[in-house]
Formats: sequence, structure tokens, C-alpha cells
Amino acid sequence: MCGIIGYTGFRDANKVLIDSLKRLEYRGYDSAGISVIHKKQQVYKQVGEIKALEKNLPDFKGTVGVGHTRWATHGGVTKENAHPHLSSNKKIAVVHNGIIENFSKLRENLIKKGYKFASQTDSEVIAHLIEDNYKDNLEKAVYSALKKVEGYYAIVVTSTDEPDKIVGARKDSPLVIGVGDNENFLGSDITAFLKYTKRVVFLNDGELCAVTNKDIKIFDENNKAVKRDEQVIKWDYKDAEKSGFSHFMLKEIFDQPDTVHHVIRGRVSEIDRAIQFNENVENLLSNGLDSIHIVACGTSYYAGLVGKYMLEKLTGIPVIVELASEYRYFGTRDENSLIIGVTQSGETLDTLAALKEAKNSGCRILVITNVIGSTATRLSDGYILTQSGPEIGVAATKTFTSQILVLCLIALKIGMLKNKIGADEVYKYILQLKELPRKVRQALDQSDEILKIANQLKNTQSVFFIGRGINYPLSLEGALKLKEISYLHAEGFAAGELKHGPFALLTKITPVVAIVTKDFTYEKLLANIGEVKARGPKVIAIADENDTEIEKHADFVIRFPSNSDIMSCIPIIVILQLLAYHVANLRGCSIDKPRNLAKSVTVE
Amino acid sequence: MKAVILAAGEGKRLRPFTETIPKVMLPVANKPVLEYVVDAVKKSGIAEIIIVVGYKKEVIMEYFKEYKGLKISYVTQDKQLGTAHALLQAKSRIKETFIVISGDNIVDQKSISQLIKDQSKYSMLIKEHPHPSKYGAVFIEKGKLKEIVEKPKEEIGKFISTGIYKLPKSIFKTVEELTSRGTNDLTSVIQEVMKNGEEINTIKAESWMDIVYPWDLIQINEAMIHSSKFSVGGVVEKEVTIKGDVSIGKDTTIYSGCYIVGPVVIGEGCEIGPNACIFPSTTIGNNSVVHPFSEIRNSVIMDDTHIGSNSFIKNSIIARGTIISNNFSCISGDNTVEIDGEFKKLENLGAMIGEDCTFGSHVVIDPGIIIGRKCNIESMKKITKNVTSNTKVM
Repeated sequence: MCGIIGYTGFRDANKVLIDSLKRLEYRGYDSAGISVIHKKQQVYKQVGEIKALEKNLPDFKGTVGVGHTRWATHGGVTKENAHPHLSSNKKIAVVHNGIIENFSKLRENLIKKGYKFASQTDSEVIAHLIEDNYKDNLEKAVYSALKKVEGYYAIVVTSTDEPDKIVGARKDSPLVIGVGDNENFLGSDITAFLKYTKRVVFLNDGELCAVTNKDIKIFDENNKAVKRDEQVIKWDYKDAEKSGFSHFMLKEIFDQPDTVHHVIRGRVSEIDRAIQFNENVENLLSNGLDSIHIVACGTSYYAGLVGKYMLEKLTGIPVIVELASEYRYFGTRDENSLIIGVTQSGETLDTLAALKEAKNSGCRILVITNVIGSTATRLSDGYILTQSGPEIGVAATKTFTSQILVLCLIALKIGMLKNKIGADEVYKYILQLKELPRKVRQALDQSDEILKIANQLKNTQSVFFIGRGINYPLSLEGALKLKEISYLHAEGFAAGELKHGPFALLTKITPVVAIVTKDFTYEKLLANIGEVKARGPKVIAIADENDTEIEKHADFVIRFPSNSDIMSCIPIIVILQLLAYHVANLRGCSIDKPRNLAKSVTVE
Repeated sequence: MKAVILAAGEGKRLRPFTETIPKVMLPVANKPVLEYVVDAVKKSGIAEIIIVVGYKKEVIMEYFKEYKGLKISYVTQDKQLGTAHALLQAKSRIKETFIVISGDNIVDQKSISQLIKDQSKYSMLIKEHPHPSKYGAVFIEKGKLKEIVEKPKEEIGKFISTGIYKLPKSIFKTVEELTSRGTNDLTSVIQEVMKNGEEINTIKAESWMDIVYPWDLIQINEAMIHSSKFSVGGVVEKEVTIKGDVSIGKDTTIYSGCYIVGPVVIGEGCEIGPNACIFPSTTIGNNSVVHPFSEIRNSVIMDDTHIGSNSFIKNSIIARGTIISNNFSCISGDNTVEIDGEFKKLENLGAMIGEDCTFGSHVVIDPGIIIGRKCNIESMKKITKNVTSNTKVM
């Protein structure tokens, strides 16, 4: 999925395009670009989010232009491959959403005719093809060019020969016209220009339009002019973007049965009892590992802490988890250590800097990221994609569980390579992995019960989260989620540490969320809950569905489906996310864009 | 012209399969029923669709988010009171004559095109049917509608109403009148229109099917699987025999010694075999695993399922996420089942198993048995009665 936008009018095209692209960011954000006409096509592209594009944006003059935000599903993400694409004579700029199926043939023909290609994309073909068909009218050239194209597309085109015109066309990909006064828009959806106008004209499949700041012409498949009335948008289009969920975060929490699959699919084979990665990654994992460093920030750091438990348990290799901003200046670099960098965006500046430092010291780098072609993947020796799709909510949800699962697969793979775990045990874990989507669904089923318990937390000042073992980093993450979006003070503690200090802060009005799994620390944790109860606060336990004791100890219980000591963490996280979400929602907080926070942090 | 698709209903008679998804999202050859409807409407030339959603609307909105660039908008019916009430929700979006169609009806595109082209002010699609008593029996005179009798006690007439209409915008006046009196079904609206002296033209649909009971899913899967686009992705190992039309999704592996006779549709990310046999007309969803020496015939196996070795599954439905251990067997045969207070005689039917169940090894299930969602059946059990959701059979 990609987002495209075109503008012609009186405002600074620069500003309008950037604004609109930000609205379209939910359609993808691995690279972006704009082109504004002022005598010539002024193009600026950047890998990364729209923010990266905005940061060093040259001060282009001009009031007509096109923009694009990209989410590659295959192929590299580079500046060259980012849109807009220019024709060989640099007069025509094109942005495209879709796939050109016969592009290699078209490309061959165009190269024979002497056209010069600057990128590897299928989209660039359109730009040269339009130039090839251009006589004196842009919409005619676009029409003739598209006749030769197979596939599906929505495109917006400008040309310096007709500097006030934007031409759009669509087939099986969305494109709408926004109607303003002395200005007009084209966009992948209405949200792109909703800030400027609520009046729209819909384009049907196969239609083409030529738009200037004053008038709009629409042509059908046979190039016959069509008349169409404009409509005024009354309903909230945001709803459609979020598929009926009230927030992106909630939608993304509910995406998790699918995103879990995306991590496993193609990597875990139940019949062959095997875990497979690409060659680069397998090489990194099979060569004499003495130790592993996981380097990350924020939620990714907590994913690393969870991964540490898995890796140490399944491989016996010591694991050190470091905050990237610290490791960068103070960490040790050991050539025999594998450095695993975890970053959702692949652009987190602190993590990138830390990885560069490690690389310069001769360490091997493995990166876990959600964004193909991001800077992190390019400086790595091997990378694993979490394949979670774009995540819009600033608070990480689905990418967090996917990062943990990738670390889990790495642990299983190394464990197998080192013969630390037998084939039968591997099979047990594989079955548990395959069962995870349904366990996640089971956790999601409890959303309404969790909402009831969230009511207990909404008016408090401060909340503690406690757990032991793998549940300790989960407590940290549970607390982080709550503070990020509900602005409540929350802290996560290792349950055994309470008595070494934090007790001083515990009062009757500090609810404690305890994560209780039925492992060998179960009794100890019950004792910790007892210590807490003695001081008066309410205890909310997140406990195994088969735990019959817990009601005697806790005031409220949320059940997670039992799976195993390792994999249970995934449904537990889902419960913690729902808890944070419901508390924030009850408190009326801005959930998808919490104050002072940004999705990916590209500054130090 | 715009089309209004009614997709707000829950489908209580289709439980347990509709406990987590709306009725219109039930899969047929790995595509939701609603997708067949949307495709048929799109192919008949309609560019804008309004879907009336309600029960579990997120599932629908997420699936059709970027659907082939088609312009789809949604209106919500908060309480599922009836078809006329559902249609009323779309009132503000309708400016001219439109068609209305139920999202759980599979109808051919030609019939919709005929309906659109028809010049009468009101027209409807009807269908010849052997059992009109289940539906609204329709009586016609010179091609015009004479009478609709909702669910007649006896098998009278030979045509039924498909519930697919072409209506003028003015219909909303009648709809508003009736719904304000508490009459919420579209059939009553049509009867009222006739009472006011309007003529309703009838057009015979070529093919039309609807889903009412769980077992309808097996028949519709059998009927519609032929319309799939068959293609082989994924890995097919040596010594696999594939006959007829077989579709295999990407990232799926078919291991050595499998024998597959089409029409069969297998989704993405599956692992089948070695030595498993799959016969017509079977659909297997995404991310499912079928272990060695199992046999599956004429069944609908949904996503994320796990079928152990030496299992036998025929004329059955297995919903998403269910885990079946080895030597499972569902006996296919005749049975009389009670559903919604009615007794239904069923022929040649296997088991219908809800989402996220777990079966121990060597479980046997009698014909026509419905097992609810999230049930846990221990090893060596024979199931002879329906099992409600969240039950443990020990």
C-alpha cells in the first residue's frame, strides 16, 4: 500500500504536500518524496518517515506538485526507488500506487528507444511512457501511456510544459478529487486533503482526470468526457481507516493474531520440525557465539529483556541487554559477540549509532526491524523482518509481540544448532508457536472484562506492576504502556525487589498488577502478593486459566490461556496492552498520539 | 447506480460459527460470502457500494479496506431489528434508484445486471425453489408480483423472494412509515407498496443461494469452489499426485506422497502430508496443518487448524484454530437434529466443529453433530450429542 497526493492552487505546494502525506502515513512510511513545479521539476526524496522528509526539505517555490509515501512489500527501499519518478527529459513527474505487471517488457522497449532509467521500480516506466506519448497535451499522453500498461494503479502526474495542471488516473487502486476554491487536490483518500476541503468528486475505475486550480475534467475508459457532481463529505472518514475501531492502537492490538502468523509463516515448519531464516542470518547464528548483546531503546529494549530469558534458557549463551543510548558510549565491544539490534522503524538514531559503533569494532550485527530497506537493515550483516505491517499508534503493540517472537525463533534456532534442545522439545515449542494465534484471540476475547477492571485504575495516581523471571520485563512493559498513553505514574518491579525499596512508596491507593505464572516461583510470588496486601492496596492478578488458588490472594483476576513458560508471555502482553488502552480511554487521553512522544525517534 | 448490501446480521442459526465473525464473513472456498456478493455487484457495473454493518463490523471493514479500489462506505445498524430498518440506515446516502441485496446471498452477476437494466420503477429477483416454506413464497401474474407469503405452512407456489430489489429513492417514505410502527422487514414494505397500487416487476435469477444453517456452508462450498482462480504457489514436493483443479497458496508445502483430487483449494502457509489424501470439494484455510495418512473429503477446514495423523474427515466443517489429535474420525451419515426449536432431517453429513476446540486422540463423532466454540474433548471419547461452547468433555 502507498499513499499519493497532488495539488494545484495558490498555497505553497511544499506545505500542502507534506501535510497531506502525514495524513496518508497510515498507508506506509518507509520512504517518501515530493516534486514541486517552478520552471522545472524540483524533486526531494528521503528514506524513512514523512518527518525525515520534512527535516531537510529545501524551500521549493511553487504551487503545483505531487507527493508519495511508500510501504514496500518487496524490493529495496532506497532514495532512488522512492517516488516521484521523473521522465528522461526531467519534465514529467509521476507518483504511483499499485503494480505494473508488464513493466519489464515496457522497460526493455523504452530502453531501446533511448530512455534512461534511474530506479529499479515498475513505477518509473510510467514516467518515460508518458514522455514517449507526449505531444502537446498531458492528459492525452497519460491516456495513451496507460493503454499500454497492465496491472493496477492510481497515479498523479505533472509536467513543466503545462505547469498548472495535475493529471490523475486510477484502476483498482483508490484516487479521489478534492474540490477547493481556486485550488484542487488529488489523493489516495479523502483524509489526505480533508483539512482543506470537504467537497469531493469520486473517480470511477478506469477513469482519468485533468485538474487545474480552476476546473476539473473527467474522462472515461474511451477518453470520452464525463460530467460528475461533487459531493460533500459529512461522515467521519477516519472510521474507515481504522476499520471501525475507535483507535489505531486498539486495531493494532486486535491485529495480533495475524501478525503472530506473519512472524511464524515461512520460518517455522511443523512437519519438518525446523526453523529457517535466510542465509545471512543462518550464518550469523551458526558461527561460534560466545555471547549475545541486544541493543535497543524503549519498548524494543523490553522486547530484548524478554528475549534474554528465552535465549539464555534455550541456548545457555549469556545475553546482555543494553540501552542503545548507553551502549553507544559505555558498552563493551567483543568481536566474538553477536550484536542484535532491535528497532521497529529501523531508523532509531540511538540504536543506529550504537550499531555503527559495534560494527566499527568488528562485531557482527543482526537487526530485527519492521521496515524493509531501513538504515538499520543496510548497516547489518543480516536482518529479520517482523512483517507486522505499518504501525500507526505511537505506543508499540503488535510490533512488540512480533519482536519477541523473532527473538524466540532465534533462540530456538541457536538451541538446535548447538544441540542444546532435543528434536522433541523443539517440536513441543513449535506446536506452542503454532497455537499462539488462538491463544491471542482468547486473550482478546476478554477485552470487556479487562475494561471493568480498568475502571479500578482510572482514578489512581500510581500503579505498580510486578512479576518474576520473564514476567519481570513484562511488568516493565505493562507499566510503560500505561504511562505512555494514560499519563498515570506506573512502575514495573521484579517481585522480589519490592521489599528492597519500592515498598516505601506503596500505599493503600497504589494498585498492584501482579503477573502470576505457574512456574517454580509461583509460591514465592503468592508470598509477594501477601506482602503487598498487608499494606492495603488492591491487587489485580493476571493468572493462568487453570490457577484455582489465585482468587484467595488477589482482588481481581484476569486469566491468560496457559501455553508454556516461554510462550505464555504473548497473551499476557496482549492483556497488559488492553488494560493500558482501556484505562487511557476511560481517562479520555489522546491514545494514538500521546503528548511529547513520537513514533520513531530519529534524534539523540 | 448505488448498491446497498445488508451485512449487519449476526446469524444466530449459524452458531457456533458466527460467535466471533458476522455471518457474511463465513468462508466459502477461502473467500468470505460477502466477497462473492461484492464481486458480483462490481462486475454488474456498480461503482459505489454502501454496506450496512452492525454485528462485529470491524471484521468486515478491515477485510474490505482496500478492496480492488472499489468505493465502499459503511453505515452502522446498532440494533439488528430487521431488513427494512437496516436499509433505513443508508437513507442519507441514496439520491436515486438503487439496488438492495443481502450480504449472505450468493447470486450470479448476470441476474444482478438484468435487475439493474430493468426499466420498471420497482423490480425484484425471484428464484424457483423446491421448498418455498423456508422463505417468502412469491406468486406472479404476467411477470408482475401478485403476492408474497412469508414462510407458508405448506409448500405452495414454486418461486421464492431472494430479497434482492431495485427500488426508487421514494421507498424510504414507506420504510420510515412502517419502521415507525415497529414493522421492520423489507417484505412488509414491498407488500405496502403493492397495497398503494404500485407494480413490482419480477426477474428470475439464474442462480441464488443463501446460508441459513451451518451445513449450508458445505453445499455452498461445493457449488462455489469451481469459481475459484486455481493457481499453484508454495512448494509441492516430488511424488505428489495432483488431479483436477487444485489451488495451493504461497508459503504452503505439500509433502511427498500426497494425493489431491480437485476441486480443492488450499490456503497460504499450510503444511500438508506426507501421504495425506484430499478429495473434492475440500477447502483448507491459511496456516493449517494436515498430518500424515489423513483423509479429507468434501469439507470446509478453516484457518489455523491442526489435523493429526490417521484422521478421517468427510462432509464436515472445522472452524478456525481447532486442534485435532491423531486418529480422529467423524462418521458421515444421516441424522435428525434440533436447531432453533425445529427438527431437521439431515442426510450424509459429518461433524460441524466451532472455533478453537481441542480434541485428544481417537475421538469419534456421530453424523450431524455440532460442537461449539472453545470445547475441549479428551482422548477416546465418542460424541453422540451436540456440545455447547466452552464445554469440557472428560
